[in-house]
Amino acid sequence: MTMVNITMNGQKISAPAGSNILQAAKQVGIDIPTLCDHPALVSIGACRICVVEVTGQRTLITACTFPITEGMEIQTESPQVVKARKLILDLLFSERNHYCPMCQMSGDCELQNLGYRYGIDHWIYPTYTKGFPVDASRKYFFMDHNRCVLCGRCERACGDLVANHTLGLRNRGASSMIHADANVPFGESTCISCGSCLQVCPTGALCDKRSAYMGRNIQTEHIKSTCNQCSIGCGMEIVTRGGNVLRIESDWDAEINAGLLCKNGRFDPLYEDRTRVTQPMIRIGGKLRPSSWDETLKTIAEKISGTNAKEIGVLTSSNSTNEALYLLGQLFCKELKATNVGLLNSAAPKLFDKPQGSLADIVKSDVILVAGTDPAKDQPVASFFVKHAVDRGAKLILVGGKDNGLAPFATMILADIGKAVEVAERAGSPVVLYGAGITEKGASALKKLQGKAAFVAIEPGVNTRAAVAFGFNNGFKASAAKVLYALLGEQGLESADVLKDVDKKAFVVVQASYVSPITEKADVVLPMAIWSERAGSLTNTEGRVQKVSKAVEPAGEAKSDWEIISLLANKLGKKLATSLDEISARATQELK
Amino acid sequence: MSKINTLEDLNKAAKRGLESIIPSKTKVMVGMATSGIASGAQEVYNALAEEIKKRKLDIILSKTGAMGMDCIEPLVDVLQPNKPRLAYSKVTAKKVPEIIDQIVKGAVNGNKPAYRMDEEEFICLNENKPYLKGPVPKDLEGIPKIGDVSFYKKQMKLATRNCGMINYESIDEYIAKGGYFSLLKALTKMQPDEIIDEVIASGLRGRGGGGFQAGIKWQTCRRAHGDIKYVICNGDEGDPGAYMDRSVMEGDPHSVIEGMIIGAYAIGSSQGFIYVRNEYPLAVANLQRALDQAREYGLLGKNILNTGFDFDLKIGKGAGAFVCGESTALMTSLEGKAGEPRAKYIHTVEHGLWDRPSNLNNVETWANVPAIISRGAKWFSSIGCKNNSGTKVFCLVGKINNIGMVEVPMGIPLKEIIYEIGGGIPGGKKYKAVQTGGPSGGCLPDSLIDISVDFDSLWDAGSMMGSGGMIVMDETTCMVDIARYFIDFLEFESCGKCVPCREGVYRMNEILNDICDGKGKAGDVELLESMSQGIVDGALCALGSTAANPVLSTLKYFRDEYVAHVRDKKCPAGVCKALIRFSVSDEKCTGCGVCLKKCPTECISGEKKKTHVIDQTKCIKCGVCKESCKFDAIIVE
Ligand SMILES: Cc1cc2nc3c(=O)[nH]c(=O)nc-3n(C[C@H](O)[C@H](O)[C@H](O)COP(=O)(O)O)c2cc1C
Ligand code: SF4
Ligand code: SF4
Ligand code: SF4
Ligand code: SF4
Ligand code: SF4
Ligand code: SF4
Ligand code: FES
Repeated sequence: MTMVNITMNGQKISAPAGSNILQAAKQVGIDIPTLCDHPALVSIGACRICVVEVTGQRTLITACTFPITEGMEIQTESPQVVKARKLILDLLFSERNHYCPMCQMSGDCELQNLGYRYGIDHWIYPTYTKGFPVDASRKYFFMDHNRCVLCGRCERACGDLVANHTLGLRNRGASSMIHADANVPFGESTCISCGSCLQVCPTGALCDKRSAYMGRNIQTEHIKSTCNQCSIGCGMEIVTRGGNVLRIESDWDAEINAGLLCKNGRFDPLYEDRTRVTQPMIRIGGKLRPSSWDETLKTIAEKISGTNAKEIGVLTSSNSTNEALYLLGQLFCKELKATNVGLLNSAAPKLFDKPQGSLADIVKSDVILVAGTDPAKDQPVASFFVKHAVDRGAKLILVGGKDNGLAPFATMILADIGKAVEVAERAGSPVVLYGAGITEKGASALKKLQGKAAFVAIEPGVNTRAAVAFGFNNGFKASAAKVLYALLGEQGLESADVLKDVDKKAFVVVQASYVSPITEKADVVLPMAIWSERAGSLTNTEGRVQKVSKAVEPAGEAKSDWEIISLLANKLGKKLATSLDEISARATQELK
Repeated sequence: MSKINTLEDLNKAAKRGLESIIPSKTKVMVGMATSGIASGAQEVYNALAEEIKKRKLDIILSKTGAMGMDCIEPLVDVLQPNKPRLAYSKVTAKKVPEIIDQIVKGAVNGNKPAYRMDEEEFICLNENKPYLKGPVPKDLEGIPKIGDVSFYKKQMKLATRNCGMINYESIDEYIAKGGYFSLLKALTKMQPDEIIDEVIASGLRGRGGGGFQAGIKWQTCRRAHGDIKYVICNGDEGDPGAYMDRSVMEGDPHSVIEGMIIGAYAIGSSQGFIYVRNEYPLAVANLQRALDQAREYGLLGKNILNTGFDFDLKIGKGAGAFVCGESTALMTSLEGKAGEPRAKYIHTVEHGLWDRPSNLNNVETWANVPAIISRGAKWFSSIGCKNNSGTKVFCLVGKINNIGMVEVPMGIPLKEIIYEIGGGIPGGKKYKAVQTGGPSGGCLPDSLIDISVDFDSLWDAGSMMGSGGMIVMDETTCMVDIARYFIDFLEFESCGKCVPCREGVYRMNEILNDICDGKGKAGDVELLESMSQGIVDGALCALGSTAANPVLSTLKYFRDEYVAHVRDKKCPAGVCKALIRFSVSDEKCTGCGVCLKKCPTECISGEKKKTHVIDQTKCIKCGVCKESCKFDAIIVE
């Protein structure tokens, strides 16, 4: 890397060529304030708060846009600089309503922090008497135009990162306003509530409804984890305070999603309103009654011990950790020799033995063929990558119908997968996204692109890839089970239909987090921890093994998915690994 | 038409053109630029056509651009064989038969032409061609020669050399004036670097405002990395009251096109754009026609003049916002996005339109290029003053007798523009100041009347050249009100991207409004001053960084007027309504009662022959009484 030598505040430093002044300053711990700039976004030099003095330049220079050059001399806090920054802050504080004590973001606001830093303690200009609207038409967060500084971060996040292009600036000059589409309420716009704009907003203009006034950032803990709402496995941070989850933020350092999340991952898990299962329960006299863990596990162990391996059925949700799936396989298939095991959702067909591409290939491609999957609905962040590529000029060939969430962005919608393959064959760097919805014929048509295209399976469910790897994808026959162990976890099933072919007299054990029609029918219910309460790992659709962290304590007596199976194995007298690290290591080993 | 491939072909076209410039039969030309049409030239043209048809006369009727003297339009020029060219001013459809009569009779009586031209200047060819052999006929001697008309006397037409002289619809006439010979010379006799050296040596500075050396810009663009490069013409012209670029695009479109082709060859570009504001339909139409003609002649497109050089031009239409004239905003607008300035620390000559090296110059800058190539850098740099070679076109407006477009050598004393070309201040009022540089320019006081009009002197005096607006003010102009007027314009035009401009200019406007409304507070003037510095230092584009100029320059030269407004709550010029009071002078009022009748709110009372009185509670300060009083008895204070 070529280095460039510059002087900053008298200090000689060298920084990689191509850095801007801001980046060079950051390296040596010189803090140049910013407002419109954000590391994940393109710098536009709009707010001008980062101005610095550069010897030889006629006016002040914005550090966030100006590249360093050899011998450059920079002053980051000279009187002229401070004066210009104060002017900007004075202007911003009176531009709209910044009466901090009333603001949700007070304490975590970049504008407020700058106000403190530069001693803005009174208003110089008349404050705004005109009120701006507050738009709360979206479910999860609101926009208070009174706090907006028009930095445009939200617009760039929505357009450049999410490729959703909902936001824009309306009017000009001092009457500029952030708006959605053709100026409709956000709730009626093309906004998909991914919350990316919310996360980049430096002020109280965009505020999360659920965690508003629930604590400042310094009072919270940020725990890195992995989203387990779908098979993409986006990196995220669980923000907690006093043992409660306040909100979910995206992890800018995450390799897969680099700061993006979708509504399913960011908001929905926090708006869960199902009733938790908090105690182990055994059906006695036709009624589920609370019991102790020990008693309950003993009951199950006895039942299993007395059952022929052929009559044991195991069904699991893909919303289970690698560890749980590994132990489940070890215990039931290996030790107990059960063969009637299955997965609650389908899986994408296996086209190749070796991986033929990754999610990162999507944005680099020139033709994207999507078949048998609807990522816009089920794996939204993957659909952001697709839209991103389309923005950059890639063609999207959709196999399927207009009801696919990606249809509005498709160059062609084809019914015939063969035709789609023909188009992809002519491309330079095509990528194929396929899911469980393709037929065998479709699969063999796609294989023609081997060597030419990158292939990314988009698995339905969450940890489907690990479940399949551990053997949970055979044809499960409900009628054959005399004892059924169902690891339901958090999976929501509207009805007890999965049990409809199960023998009326069969003994049903359900390991679940929420009360549902299935737990209502079970003979034994085991309370299970949810995503924020358990540690372990997940395997994403590309095969990456990623950690999930325990951010808060489980509700009631609930336990982690793997822990429950480990305890059951113990009761059955089977010697399986018992520490999380050991289980993880073994599971990971097997997944390779 | 067949393609022009050789000097011979070009000469042939020139011959055809000359025959239509100085034809062997009578020709009538109507000034049909937007300024002419606005004053009724279309009706005059129609009347002429009808009259000629009715009388079955063998007369050529043609359209030409604007000569610049707006105040005497519609202008009709008559050129009869072996006679001087006569210019009839303020022609109406009604006067047409009389003019035709004069043509038929060959005698001038009654309706006298404003001036006559005995010969025509062919700048690019460095020669003057006489309209007549021998002396001027006796009856025409009394008509002043154009060179003796004070409006034209001190002018020098380079960029506007053909405006109002040739038929803008005829490429042959343009060629006859020496047009496209420079292109032929550039493509066949000069290397790109030689052309650039010539332009550098000429000292040509960008006429769009910044005054950056055009040749240096070309050179940087030539040296920038990239296979595809663009040349762009800035015809956005958003300054209120300015229309010199429009006049050139309408009256002599080929001069811009030829300049751009030469520039493209020098820079190494094969595609160019002319960005014209949407409000200029005639400019677009004339440019479009000219482009088609040039393409037909093989002067544009593939294999230009059979030299193997390819270059083509497209017209892009502006979105209408003033800020779209700013280079980066113009380019984003050309890309089809909202025209918003970008932080341009990476220069547009390296990363411009679609991130490719792009060379942007103003209309007038491009129009000068063919003249420089044909006459040489030495000739061009001999015109004007030090570091400011050539001429500059201005639009002279405001409180001045001769309103119009003027082209003067750089370095001309301001006084000559105001008092000679402009003919001084109307109504015997006192000259107060001139505002130059467009909305974000500055005001120069009477004490600087001798200033040399060039980029550097104007800048040093706190104003700027800008694109050439020149607004003259007399003693009845309030300088605080003027600053407010321009700040109001800039506030409206601020794109809102950056804080110092969006909010800073808004606040300046608010404070200026307060001052004019009599609500000025102690400290306001100082606040304006300190804000100005921050805005100059911090704004993203030049709209913002020059936005404080109107305030800074009026504060510099007319601070006492601000003080009068803020401290004494008085408007010395009697303009700011909240600060003035109309009353009747006991001494001067004759009690004639005229004001009483005229006052729209009926707030004047008084008996005949006795001093009248104004009811201050009802007076709306409209000034009608002052205008109507013959005895100057209405006092404004
Ligand atoms: C707000 C703003 C408006 C401008 N408008 C124009 C314009 O209408 N025409 C123009 O030629 N230049 C305009 N400019 C200057 C251009 O940015 C640019 O400097 C110029 O076109 C370069 O050409 P030149 O070097 O030939 O002058 C404007 C600049 C600013 C900041
Ligand atoms: S947005 Fe920031 S500056 Fe504005 S009121 Fe809220 S905390 Fe204060
Ligand atoms: S939530 Fe997502 S889609 Fe909606 S406006 Fe914000 S960034 Fe755009
Ligand atoms: S809403 Fe937030 S991010 Fe968007 S412009 Fe306003 S302050 Fe910036
Ligand atoms: S795409 Fe999937 S993993 Fe990523 S945030 Fe959305 S639900 Fe979670
Ligand atoms: S200075 Fe004004 S016009 Fe220029 S970018 Fe800033 S707000 Fe827009
Ligand atoms: S200024 Fe107008 S309203 Fe006032 S007295 Fe004169 S005429 Fe009447
Ligand atoms: S942070 Fe650099 S201009 Fe806003």
